[in-house]
Amino acid sequence: MINLTLIFIAAAITHNFVLTYFLGICPFIGVSKRIEQAVGMGLATTFVMTLAACVTWVIYHFILIRFGLPFLQYVSFIIVIASLVQIVEMFIRKTSPALYRALGIYLPLITTNCAILGLVLFMVLREYTFLEGVVFGVGAGCGFTLALVIMAGIREELECCDIPKPLQGAGITLIIAGILALSFMGFGGLISR
Amino acid sequence: MMDNTVITSILSMAGLGLFFASVLALVSQKLKVKEDPRIERIEEALPGVNCGVCGFANCRQYAEALAKEEISPNQCKAGGEEVISRLSGILNVKIEKKIDQIAVLHCGADESGRKKKAIYTGVKTCLAAHNTFGGEVLCEYGCLGYADCMRACPFGAIRMVRGLPKIDKDKCTTCGKCVASCPRNLITLEKIDSGNLIYVACSNPDKGPETRKVCSVGCIACGICQKLTGGIFYVENNLARVRYDKAKNIANTEEVINKCPTKCIVNV
Repeated sequence: MINLTLIFIAAAITHNFVLTYFLGICPFIGVSKRIEQAVGMGLATTFVMTLAACVTWVIYHFILIRFGLPFLQYVSFIIVIASLVQIVEMFIRKTSPALYRALGIYLPLITTNCAILGLVLFMVLREYTFLEGVVFGVGAGCGFTLALVIMAGIREELECCDIPKPLQGAGITLIIAGILALSFMGFGGLISR
Repeated sequence: MMDNTVITSILSMAGLGLFFASVLALVSQKLKVKEDPRIERIEEALPGVNCGVCGFANCRQYAEALAKEEISPNQCKAGGEEVISRLSGILNVKIEKKIDQIAVLHCGADESGRKKKAIYTGVKTCLAAHNTFGGEVLCEYGCLGYADCMRACPFGAIRMVRGLPKIDKDKCTTCGKCVASCPRNLITLEKIDSGNLIYVACSNPDKGPETRKVCSVGCIACGICQKLTGGIFYVENNLARVRYDKAKNIANTEEVINKCPTKCIVNV
């Protein structure tokens, strides 16, 4: 139990995917203008991450290892992720057209979001059990959502600020991302993993 | 052994692919969204500036309402005739023609004409200046020149010429954003009948001498234009105004413009 908690906290905070590994920067910069959108994107990514962790674990252990094909992990993982993203996309389009339009191109781009491929590769590399893998996926998703929401909150406040012209837009966002990453580094010593 | 690996990898990948393909096919059947294909086409035909004049938050919502045939497609002022005719093509309906309008600024005092009473160092918007004792402009009714209307215009139809907004009649779509943005209510939407519109570029209702004190190009209500045009121009509240619906009957436009002592009658 303690082990699972540690995995969750490590994935969500101390080894946050966005702010420590710098994975998934594209949606982190692109969909962090409004908190509402950020939450939607975060939840969609969390969902994909958790499911991807489950499915890839099963595929890796029961197909790839069994038939001696672990070198096919990249290909098969990408197939899994792409299919999951397609399903999520259809689901969101059905249930919330407004969120579907707000996420726009970033929704299908979850497919190529390196945070998700990174997650499943880490999971295999660290030889997690199924349960650990799922917790790792949920934790990473929560961490991603957390980073996105913090960023969106700051950027909403930033709208009212007088930013020097050359830094407006992506410039100031990247600077803030750097400062956020620094502050998350402070959690680094909490757990060594 | 080598052959075996190749065969198992091909088989397992094909199996995975087939499995996910069938799951996707199933899910897409389950979660199918029925959407009017016209919505996409209507949205493409609309200008996409999301100005909100039609009464909807953005062009997309207007397109959705149009596809349900809840409203008439002549709500979009931004797109003008062209968009309306394209929309009527998509929706198969006829729409009555609307009359050409343009936004008109009822002040003619640019940087050189404007008299100043103080130095204003506050926030550089008209609204802020208007609320701080009218900023530095002496005239209580005239243009402040901080370009709130220019920033409000979604079409770039307003530019500032020597501190005074100049409205481009080709770009103006009469969306009314500038009318709402002016804290001194200097802009109105007027009909252009003959393609030529003359108007009084002043909004100061004070008596002649008072107006003279604060502005060199303000209307002093002398009534010359009224006499010259036989009542098409009229003076009300110490301010000359045009009856826009009859403005095309003015034969001596040049004379009226030239005879005005403060040159506050201008052409669009």
